[in-house]
Amino acid sequence: MSLIEVENLTVTFRANGRVVRAVEGVSLSVTAKESYGLVGESGSGKSTILRAICGLAPVSGGAIRIGGKTIPTPRGRAFARQVQMVFQDPYASLHPRHTIDRTLSEPLAIHGIGDSDARVMGALDDVGLPRNFRFRYPHQLSGGQRQRVAIARALMLEPGILLLDEPTSALDASVQAEVLNLLNRLRDERGLTFLMVSHDLAVIDHMCDRVLVMQNGRAVEELSREDLSGARMKTAYARSLFDASADRMLGDLEGTPA
Amino acid sequence: MAGLRVWLMDPNPTSRRQARLGQFWLGWLRLRRNPLAVSGLVIVGLLLVVAAFAPVIAPHDPLAQDLSRRLLPPGTPGNLLGTDDFGRDILSRIITGSRITLYIVGLVAVTAPFLGLLIGTVSGYFGGWTDAVLMRITDIFLAFPRLILALALVAVLGPGIENAVLAIALTAWPPYARVARAETLTVRNSDYIAAVRLQGAGVPRIILGHVVPTCLPSVIIRVTLDMAGVILIAAGLGFLGLGVQPPLPEWGLMISSGRKYLFEQWWVSTMPGLAIFIVSLGFNLLGDGLRDVLDPKSAPK
Repeated sequence: MSLIEVENLTVTFRANGRVVRAVEGVSLSVTAKESYGLVGESGSGKSTILRAICGLAPVSGGAIRIGGKTIPTPRGRAFARQVQMVFQDPYASLHPRHTIDRTLSEPLAIHGIGDSDARVMGALDDVGLPRNFRFRYPHQLSGGQRQRVAIARALMLEPGILLLDEPTSALDASVQAEVLNLLNRLRDERGLTFLMVSHDLAVIDHMCDRVLVMQNGRAVEELSREDLSGARMKTAYARSLFDASADRMLGDLEGTPA
Repeated sequence: MAGLRVWLMDPNPTSRRQARLGQFWLGWLRLRRNPLAVSGLVIVGLLLVVAAFAPVIAPHDPLAQDLSRRLLPPGTPGNLLGTDDFGRDILSRIITGSRITLYIVGLVAVTAPFLGLLIGTVSGYFGGWTDAVLMRITDIFLAFPRLILALALVAVLGPGIENAVLAIALTAWPPYARVARAETLTVRNSDYIAAVRLQGAGVPRIILGHVVPTCLPSVIIRVTLDMAGVILIAAGLGFLGLGVQPPLPEWGLMISSGRKYLFEQWWVSTMPGLAIFIVSLGFNLLGDGLRDVLDPKSAPK
């Protein structure tokens, strides 16, 4: 049975009398412990799907089910312990006036989970940050370190599902590989389910078992990893995306340690 | 002492308390590097000391009248800053009056920004009709000149020091609400607010724990810059006889009582005027200095 089911999801925004259909009738299903990718160019609606799942974008049609149950609106605390998200820009996703300690202990405080000292230390260890970073502010960290903090924060509530909104697009290439390998390691260790957005097929190829290609808010084609590496695309659009990043997919991302 | 400094400056604090105290210490070091801010701090500190020990410092009873020694010029032996029209020692009255000034300033500084922050952040965070209603109320308060509105409120509530404070606080909050709302609008759609919402945080936690800290520095700076204005409005209400009542030695009231003698006995009005000037200047300088201190990004790496 699939863990995440999105059925005919439609998201429309109204701004100044204009109606923008960001996502139109997209369906996908992700089984437990799978890593599922969403790929497409900017504005194709891939991030909006993640935001809709989290309740940060309005669902105007269709259904989202997690573990067979329709998710409640507003999402609530039980949902927070099931699903967490890592945002695209680590420079914008950490509170600039909170220390790392405050950022990481906040979810524990919200859910009334004790023993926050040990849990914060453990979280820093898990994402490979030194413990003495604990009382630093985000501006004292590099982009890659910040993204590690954001990943640690998302894992504080021990969710089963992690939504990744282009988690490495704001980072440079070497740091990108480190963060991706960290995510893969955490997925193996904790049996996480990933729903990951990227515009980069090389990243998707490194991370995901299956991928949905999107264009203009619609699903174009679903590909398995084998289809991707064998370049077996049916649609012209998926083919052109593949051609754009084919040279980098041959490059070795695995060489860099997490 | 050296050990304490090392403990405070430790770049890798081991406990939350140490980290917090270390931040305070760094803030203090930054403040200390700014000579203007330090002079502001010294003035405000002096005001606090003078107010705390007023009965000990004051050479005379501020209320004791001696009509045989009325309107003596500054420098008269026994009356350093001269005497007023009832023969009361002006220096003693200024020293005792610092308590009233501090009381008014303190109460306004606690109530008005609190109210402003609350209204501003709630308005900015929720948006929609909440924002429209709260901001129109703010507009109404802003449309009145502050002194006139304070006058109207005191006229309704009756003269007295508490009512003066209440009137000033009720007229002082709209600018804070505006500042807080503007800051809230810039952060409410940010990813870090989305992240904490996604963690299941309730609205009070988001507003108090995540929105208010981003607004707080600009509001605190505004408060210190406004303190001068608060002292002047309190003085203005005193001057018009609607604030503190005679014979209490409030600075504005003292200026008011000296205006009959402004040309011949200038010191009666000038001395309390100088006191208001110096204290206002002190708060302004301190406010400028706090601007640097309250931004963690200016911390040495």
